[in-house]
Amino acid sequence: MLNITLYKRGMRENIKIILAFAAVLTMYFTIIVTMFDPTFGSALSELAKAMPELMNMFGMNPSSSTLTGFMSAYLYGFIMLIFPMVFSIICANRLVARHVDKGSMVYLLSAPVKRKTIVFTQINVLISGIFIIVLYATALGIAACESSFPGELDIPKFIFLNIGVFGLQLLIGGICFLSSCIFNETKYSIAFGAGIPALAYVIQMLANSGEELSNAKYATFFTLFNSDGIIAGDTVTYIQILVLFLTSFILFTASVITFTRKDMPI
Amino acid sequence: MSVLTVNQLSRDYGNERGIFDLTFQVKEGEALGFLGPNGAGKTTTIRHLMGFLRPEKGSCSINGLDCWKHRATIQKDLGYIPGEISFFDDMTGKEFLNFYSSFRNLKTTSRINELIDRFDLNTRGKLKKMSKGMKQKVGIVAAFIHDPQVLILDEPTSGLDPLMQNRFIELILEEKQKGKTILMSSHMFEEVERTCHRVCIIKEGKLVAVDSVDSLKASQAKKFVITFENEEMAADFTTKWEESTYRSNQVTLIARQNINDMIALLSTYSISNITSPEQGLEEIFLQYYGGSEHA
Repeated sequence: MLNITLYKRGMRENIKIILAFAAVLTMYFTIIVTMFDPTFGSALSELAKAMPELMNMFGMNPSSSTLTGFMSAYLYGFIMLIFPMVFSIICANRLVARHVDKGSMVYLLSAPVKRKTIVFTQINVLISGIFIIVLYATALGIAACESSFPGELDIPKFIFLNIGVFGLQLLIGGICFLSSCIFNETKYSIAFGAGIPALAYVIQMLANSGEELSNAKYATFFTLFNSDGIIAGDTVTYIQILVLFLTSFILFTASVITFTRKDMPI
Repeated sequence: MSVLTVNQLSRDYGNERGIFDLTFQVKEGEALGFLGPNGAGKTTTIRHLMGFLRPEKGSCSINGLDCWKHRATIQKDLGYIPGEISFFDDMTGKEFLNFYSSFRNLKTTSRINELIDRFDLNTRGKLKKMSKGMKQKVGIVAAFIHDPQVLILDEPTSGLDPLMQNRFIELILEEKQKGKTILMSSHMFEEVERTCHRVCIIKEGKLVAVDSVDSLKASQAKKFVITFENEEMAADFTTKWEESTYRSNQVTLIARQNINDMIALLSTYSISNITSPEQGLEEIFLQYYGGSEHA
């Protein structure tokens, strides 16, 4: 089902961009963690008091004063949503639509390798990339917290938070990948692959910004990644995360079907 | 037995573009030239044979297997040179050939080296920076890497210099000797004439003629430009040869199967030069279509 040669090629292409994201995440994580102050409230919470709407929009509004709540608010409301999403947009487009647009898809299809195997391999490249980024963030978060504030981080909850973010990123990756399979031109693949998640994020920002618009949260899938709920230990978060994984499974299945049935203008 | 079958294949792109009700076969061990002007539908037909496009109507098959349903199986023994070559640009030629060979799950690479030598290919440069001709050579090597029994070649010599065109034609002749089945599209009659048994001509998506190269050549009109010693001779000649015009002492004439008559007639004059300008495919087409109208 998996073509190892193609998988290796995809991963090699991903290395550079994953390293770049890892470097940026390392910077953010270490800086943010050092800003946590368990006794006096952090510099960030002062900032939140100064301009509550703006900080709310990016989800930077800790519902609990623990280190775990702090991490969740300041890293999993914006950075861990946007960076892996940018990775998915770039990677998913490169894996299918760009090959069709440029014509290099010819060489993947003129070999005795089933289309299903090709698309399944490319999905695995994308998921591996997302997985590596989230796994790195998890390890990084634990390491940064343990070195600055030993024993403060609720590690099981933090891991669960990362499982949630992985589910969300899979769904975003699924949207990008399906778009890459549907469109034969890079510009449309990117327009929809980046446009839909970006729009969903903007709706989430609006929903966060105030009471009047809070119903907008039903119009965006970002609501399914409920970091406050995870930190509070709500059982509904299990169902929400399950929905994230199921939806991404459906999106990737739709991608396989689209790719195997479509006409290739190459 | 026909290896490659196209049966009433149709795909309508609108504005009279596409292919319409196309039917032809290529027999085992046969080389069929697939001729037509640009936009005639050659590449569209080939994309159906490669399983890239699903037929709107009709079907095509290779070795009895449907090209859409069994596309992966068919590729095992099929070599393909695309009309427009595009690789993984960030790789060098060698990296790409190794990647492709491993993607195809081939065990040996001896054939790659043999082909690289044959086409004087420098595989160290990045594909992105290669000239059109260089890329074409990489495409040729990639198509023959697994020693396929069936070859589908879409304008395989485009971008090659005349020396490499000749080397390519030699390779095709060898493959023909080995009994390979070949479908080669081209808009150069000469290349097809040298390599193929039969020719299939399409125009505006419709089959115009399927004929042997010999009979196409026979019906082909040949143009000659003859320089006479003086204008009177030239003028006199045009009164005796139907399809001819003169301009000072130069006569332009068309000869069909009657080249012997032409020589006989010319021998009664004093001639200083005879040339036969190279004819483009369009010209040959026109004459071919014109010829069939006369008949």
